[in-house]
Amino acid sequence: MNAVPLTKSKGRGCLGRRGSPPSSLHRRHTRQGLAFILPCFVLLGLVLGFPMVVAFVNSFTPLWSRGLSGFTIDYYRRLLQDPIFLNSLVRTVYFVGATVALHLVLGLGMALVLNSAIRARRLFRIVALLPWTVPDVVAGLVWGWMYDPLSGILNDALLRLGVIASPIEWLATPSLVMPSVILADVWRGYPFVMLVLLAGLQAIPKEEYEAAKVDGANAFQEFFHVTLPHLGRMIAIATILDVIWQARRFGLIWVMTEGGPARSTEILSVLAYRQYFKFFNFEYASAMAVVLALILVVVGLPYVRAVARRA
Amino acid sequence: MKSRWCRVVGIVALMCALVAPAATAQRVKIVLSNWHLVEPHWEKSIKEAVAEFMVRYPNIEVVLDYVSYAEKETKYMTAIEAGVGPDVMHLGPAEISFGLFATRGYFRDLTPFIQAEAAGFLDAWYPGVVDALSHEGKVYGLGNNYQAMVLMWNKRLFAEAGLDPERPPQTWEELLDYAKKLTRDRDGDGRIDTWGLGMVGRVDPGFQLRFTPILFGFGATYLSADYRCAAINTAAAKEAVKFFVDLFVTHGVVPPGVTDMTPGKVREQFAAEKIAMKITSAWGPPIVKSIRPDVDWDNIIGIAPVPVKAGTNPEIRTTAFLSYYAMNRNTKNPKESWELLKFLTSKEAQEKWFRDARVLSARRDVSQQYQLILDDPYAKVIGAELSRAAMVPMIPEWPQIIEAINVAVQKGLLGQPVDPAWRDAYLQINDILAGRRRAGERCPAY
Repeated sequence: MNAVPLTKSKGRGCLGRRGSPPSSLHRRHTRQGLAFILPCFVLLGLVLGFPMVVAFVNSFTPLWSRGLSGFTIDYYRRLLQDPIFLNSLVRTVYFVGATVALHLVLGLGMALVLNSAIRARRLFRIVALLPWTVPDVVAGLVWGWMYDPLSGILNDALLRLGVIASPIEWLATPSLVMPSVILADVWRGYPFVMLVLLAGLQAIPKEEYEAAKVDGANAFQEFFHVTLPHLGRMIAIATILDVIWQARRFGLIWVMTEGGPARSTEILSVLAYRQYFKFFNFEYASAMAVVLALILVVVGLPYVRAVARRA
Repeated sequence: MKSRWCRVVGIVALMCALVAPAATAQRVKIVLSNWHLVEPHWEKSIKEAVAEFMVRYPNIEVVLDYVSYAEKETKYMTAIEAGVGPDVMHLGPAEISFGLFATRGYFRDLTPFIQAEAAGFLDAWYPGVVDALSHEGKVYGLGNNYQAMVLMWNKRLFAEAGLDPERPPQTWEELLDYAKKLTRDRDGDGRIDTWGLGMVGRVDPGFQLRFTPILFGFGATYLSADYRCAAINTAAAKEAVKFFVDLFVTHGVVPPGVTDMTPGKVREQFAAEKIAMKITSAWGPPIVKSIRPDVDWDNIIGIAPVPVKAGTNPEIRTTAFLSYYAMNRNTKNPKESWELLKFLTSKEAQEKWFRDARVLSARRDVSQQYQLILDDPYAKVIGAELSRAAMVPMIPEWPQIIEAINVAVQKGLLGQPVDPAWRDAYLQINDILAGRRRAGERCPAY
């Protein structure tokens, strides 16, 4: 009675054998499966889908006050002429590019170290993961205190060591503020990439390294000819996900600088938040959010395709 | 006998059981949201007042809603748009929220309730406050805290720098002179560790309260009288912003990191005696005392009117912080909410706020008549300065306007030329106000 021939449909969804019509049992199982995931779909639709639709509609019309009759593309036209928005877009690219690149470099480096046969490897793995457990806002507060020109630990240490003669204004110097924020974010964000790549490293067959050694490959050659090719897919996935998350980064920057000074760290998420929640420009902020979302959809498509193909 | 007693007790119990749910059912629950609740001394004071209110109005139960100062507008806006939110809200500074909330219809009109009160109900408040909290002829808020921005100085640091500790600067020029003397190395390690003045430079509601006294003190203003154009293109406004920026850039009398300074950080600097002067109001001394309770601040802190430009005596030389209570448009219990709102802004409650938190009231019959205020060395200065204080425009565009000003000042503080940044702000503000101008109407050139 319980002998359901699930193996028949292996790799072919509910169709069973290619070309053959699905049996009634399969159809029933499919319906049951769909019924089980339906609440999740409904919940996601309400939590994610509804705000997305509202933001999208709002970006074309002041939905709540004028309804759909007030359709206009003025907010998008305004975006193209708004130097604050355009500069913010460029700043977002800079922030995302720098943080993702550094997350990758640091994450890969740490993953390689934690994958090697070092002592107390488990302990180091936990310690290396800790920054990821710190909420955005808390990380921003802690780094903000460390950067404080008068009472911050960073200036204090540099002054005591004689490296600098007077305190550095980390968050109040245009050329330093973005790198300072990026450093804080890299500390908080690299463990995710590290974790993904560590999983990838552990999946590489040992035999390949042994074969490489037999062929006389040194450590660098092993890394470039064995490790990297195997990690390629994981690096791509980690990069795409990280780009999406970094482009939406808000709490850390808001707490540390609120986008300042003089907009030096005002990335799109901060600008949209200010427009929406501080100035109540709902429609304009929605247009910004839609543009950001469209960019991220384009970035995320390869990942979605890869996942879909695998499924 | 026993059975008769049992019967009596049974009847009483039955009556109680029948009456109690009816009494409970009549009790109306209303939510009061107040950012002050997160401060322990305020929390105690508000809870006491609310308990008193519930004794007087046994049919009303007040539920307290704690909210952060920085995010309260965001929280209320989101809730009200969703059709919910607290019944009664405490908002401030008024210029950040009132215009936006009133024009978007987030408040319930208080005019009918006021009209139902005794004639002259609003006469107890400063007329400027009533005007500020009115929109299109309707009253949407009742003034609560109202206090002029003043200068706070550290007498001990003044004495150490060879200045008369009882004589604060009278003019901005004198303030600069004092600040130079106060900026020095106190611990002898060869590095400056104390500065003359603390300033708020971050994009923050606190910036406006500290920058405006300088702008007004130089005889300038932000907008034209009809709010259709920016008015920061005057010589006085340009002189004021240059003075503000030069305090940091040219004279170095302000600690480093000014563009990242919030009011809280500047207070900490004052409490750590890293700065000798700052612009503040009635909340300043109590907070400084709470940061370092071991110091005898009563003999160290001085409060004086903000300086003016030398040789001038402007009628308006400072601005004021105004907070207010308003009723959510979504409230299902407007009558009960009005009772609470009226109670919280009553003479009796306002006097209590002063006793417990040293804040002045938007009511004239409190700030000008309450003996404790008149006898308090700080409060009497702050109260007297209200007559020389003006509010900034209560228009919905104000948050954007002050942000443009704030960013322009930040550019100056970062060492960029002030004039181009100020010009950008002028043009940006005129863009923001474009909707207020008639077709073809233009603002004066910069």
